[in-house]
Amino acid sequence: MSSNKNTPLGQRNLESMHNYATPLGRRILELVRNYAVPIMFIIICAVCIPLSGFSTSYLLNEIITRMGRNIFLILSLLIPIMSGMGLNFGMTLGAMAGQIALIFVTDWQIWGIPGVVLAMILSVPLSALLGLMCGKLMNMAKGREMILGYMMNYFVGGLYQLVVLYFMASIIPIKHASIRLPRGFGIRTTVNLTNMRQCLDNELAIFYNGVKIPVLNFIIIAVLCLFIVWFRRTKLGQDMRAVGQDMDVAQAAGINVDRTRIISIIISTVFAGFGQIIYLQNIGNFPTYTAHSQIGMFCIAALLVGGASVEKASIGNVFLGVILFHTMFIVAPKAGVAITGDAMIGEYFRVFVSYGVITMALIMYEIKKRRARSQGGELLALAQKEGGAAS
Amino acid sequence: MNKKGLVIRLTALAVVIAIAATMMVIGRGHTIYFDNKTVENYQGNEYKAFERVVVTVKDEEVAKLGKRERGMATWIGQNFKMILEITEKKGDEPRIEEIELTLPYNMDGIIINLPAYLAGLPEEAWLSEFIPAPEPEEDEEDPTIGDGLGLEGDLTGDLGGDLGGEDLGA
Amino acid sequence: MSKSEQLQQTRFGQLVNTYGLPRLIITGFLIFLFIMAPITGSDLATQITNVINRFSWNAVLVLAMVPMIHSGCGLNFGIPLGVLSGLLGGTLAIEMGFTGPMSFVMAIVVSTPFAILFGGGYGALLNRIKGGEMMVATYVGFSSVSFMCIMWLMIPYKNPSIVMAYTGVGLRSMFALDSFYANVLSKLFEIDLNPWGINLVIPTGSLLFFALLAFLMWAFLHTKTGTAMTAVGSNPTFAKASGINVDRIRLLSVILSTWLGAIGIIVYQQGFGFVQLYTAPQNMTMPAVAAVLIGGASVNKASISNVIIGTLLFQGLVTMTPTVITALIHTDVSEVIRIIVSNGMVVYALTRKTEGLK
Repeated sequence: MSSNKNTPLGQRNLESMHNYATPLGRRILELVRNYAVPIMFIIICAVCIPLSGFSTSYLLNEIITRMGRNIFLILSLLIPIMSGMGLNFGMTLGAMAGQIALIFVTDWQIWGIPGVVLAMILSVPLSALLGLMCGKLMNMAKGREMILGYMMNYFVGGLYQLVVLYFMASIIPIKHASIRLPRGFGIRTTVNLTNMRQCLDNELAIFYNGVKIPVLNFIIIAVLCLFIVWFRRTKLGQDMRAVGQDMDVAQAAGINVDRTRIISIIISTVFAGFGQIIYLQNIGNFPTYTAHSQIGMFCIAALLVGGASVEKASIGNVFLGVILFHTMFIVAPKAGVAITGDAMIGEYFRVFVSYGVITMALIMYEIKKRRARSQGGELLALAQKEGGAAS
Repeated sequence: MNKKGLVIRLTALAVVIAIAATMMVIGRGHTIYFDNKTVENYQGNEYKAFERVVVTVKDEEVAKLGKRERGMATWIGQNFKMILEITEKKGDEPRIEEIELTLPYNMDGIIINLPAYLAGLPEEAWLSEFIPAPEPEEDEEDPTIGDGLGLEGDLTGDLGGDLGGEDLGA
Repeated sequence: MSKSEQLQQTRFGQLVNTYGLPRLIITGFLIFLFIMAPITGSDLATQITNVINRFSWNAVLVLAMVPMIHSGCGLNFGIPLGVLSGLLGGTLAIEMGFTGPMSFVMAIVVSTPFAILFGGGYGALLNRIKGGEMMVATYVGFSSVSFMCIMWLMIPYKNPSIVMAYTGVGLRSMFALDSFYANVLSKLFEIDLNPWGINLVIPTGSLLFFALLAFLMWAFLHTKTGTAMTAVGSNPTFAKASGINVDRIRLLSVILSTWLGAIGIIVYQQGFGFVQLYTAPQNMTMPAVAAVLIGGASVNKASISNVIIGTLLFQGLVTMTPTVITALIHTDVSEVIRIIVSNGMVVYALTRKTEGLK
């Protein structure tokens, strides 16, 4: 309601005008300002890596593993950004669907890559349904999509607990006692994925100087990247971009705005479900009731660290973000010990940085949005004035 | 929606379901236990344990069994293959046998009695289900986990409980 | 459309419209719990005592939502800032060596400058991002809480009853207030019916303290500045046109909210008897937000009665479900119910159409 109504009337013209008129110095300044967060992170990492004392091969190994398991999840955020719905905090819904699928697959004892594939297929109807619900609610709260998605996490998190903790093994059949709680129903606090642990990572893996490269993971990620690139060019992708630019204009051009927005959230949720399955097969087990809770926060923080903003994100941002954010995440505790002598401070510091980055990105987005809106207003006023003078 | 679109969608759905069904069959995991144990009385006959059996599954030596010993391997799917290197009596030359058998879909843990199997007895003589011993009663886990924004500490009033709140780090 | 019009004509429909469907369901559920309580064998008087007690702990925090909602800043997801100022006030008052009721007064006094400082910065920030307050507020809350996590370890507190036992550096994640301000309000003019065989204890002091703050808030909303605040919240364009300094009013409302949050957490601690630090302040947000919404507030409209009704309903729900439902179905689903109700309430409120929002 608030965001897109009167925003970009003059905004695009204004931006293109800027690009023509700026001298080189200002352009560099602009570049630094646009990439302030990645630059800051490069500095943090540059300071912390030597302090942490980790070997290069250890660091490389960690970062490549984390890239393999996280990038898919983060890519799922791109499509809602494209359609102007901001950072999809509701991606957690997909993660929950993925976890429920994994619980079933574990119970049915489907192992290895077939287990992963089956879990992905099973997660689709569930995440699509949750995505549909989320999208519909977001359409009722235009301009407040992010906070709504954020609250949906917790709301659906409650439903997830209800299902997994009370319905499973009482209403929903669960065969194996080993994953049930001792009291007879509900799922144990940890679900073991021993039999599919790293099955994707190990397939086709290449070892190079002690660094393991999970090739299959990267192939899957590449396929998703290609999909996203292709999707942008389809009719639907174009529609989404139009909706992201201006809902009213898109509506006037005959695009079904609400439907387009819902589809974009559904796609994101389904991918998030796949992403969570890839993520968890790498870890090898998951805390049933908390595995999803932080995932949205970390993915969003990583994306923003890569230089993305609330309204613009590219695949490059995802890769850069994962590398920088996770380097910081690996080295911060040890560097914290080296600097302050207290391990907890490093822990808290990295949490603070993740929250801080999101906060800064949100603030910058809102300020920019507001500036664009008032500039648009001024432009309009100017145009009216001139029009009045001419006549 | 036109008819063609509907057909395409239904076909896609059918394909996905077919893939899922295939995965359920080919991905079913089993744990297989090999017993090298004398079967004392099967229809009046005795089948003696071998002196030594080496079991190789997927090019990996999973067990070297003496008499009355049990080995273990995992297998995905139902067409189980293994290579046995059998030394029947002390001093014999070991002979090698390649074995293929179909595993029952619904069993998680399967015990195969090797002497009985190699003697060519019917399935009921050499195959049995492994039923894990009931785990010792653990303390009841408390799975009630808040939403990280909850009232954890103060609701229970149980100060011995988790006071740290949600772990932000993960 | 015609179906909903039909519904509006029925009396039930009218009730739903004025009272709100979720609130109706929650009220009904609570009444059901009260009826079931004696049947399941729990003592009604004890239950009522618990509800009143928890009401007295939480009411001020819920009241802290009101100013910001009034000025159109939305739900104050940034309440952790106020809580942090309260925590700073409380710990510093103890560090300075105050004990007993005096430590309570000093906690409020010391927390005030922090609240003004934090609230001022926070308000100035929110003025630059009108329309996107809630999301930013949430993350401002998160980052300030995690920043203070570092601070609790680094600020050189010395008082042995609050610093970590072994190292002596950094504050404990939780400590008792027995020799400080635990129950200073609730024990004041306490009415205890136990001698007459009824397990009903009324923490009169806490209730009076809340009543005082609520009255002050009500009175403030009827002053010139207060009405200006309401005007800013309900129609900022009109308010600006009639010469009200919108930014100044919003800033004031944020400071007020933050300050009430600080007092709120101190009152909460005196009832609860413990101070919880580190990530605990985050846990104060949702109960307060959910309570005011259950009380009938919307994203840009809230009154004192919303606060009172909402806190009673929400805390009633939170206190009664564990005992009553557990007795009924022998499973403790209260936590899950609480999560679904409180977060569902916020989702519901966010999807309502709100008039007057830019």
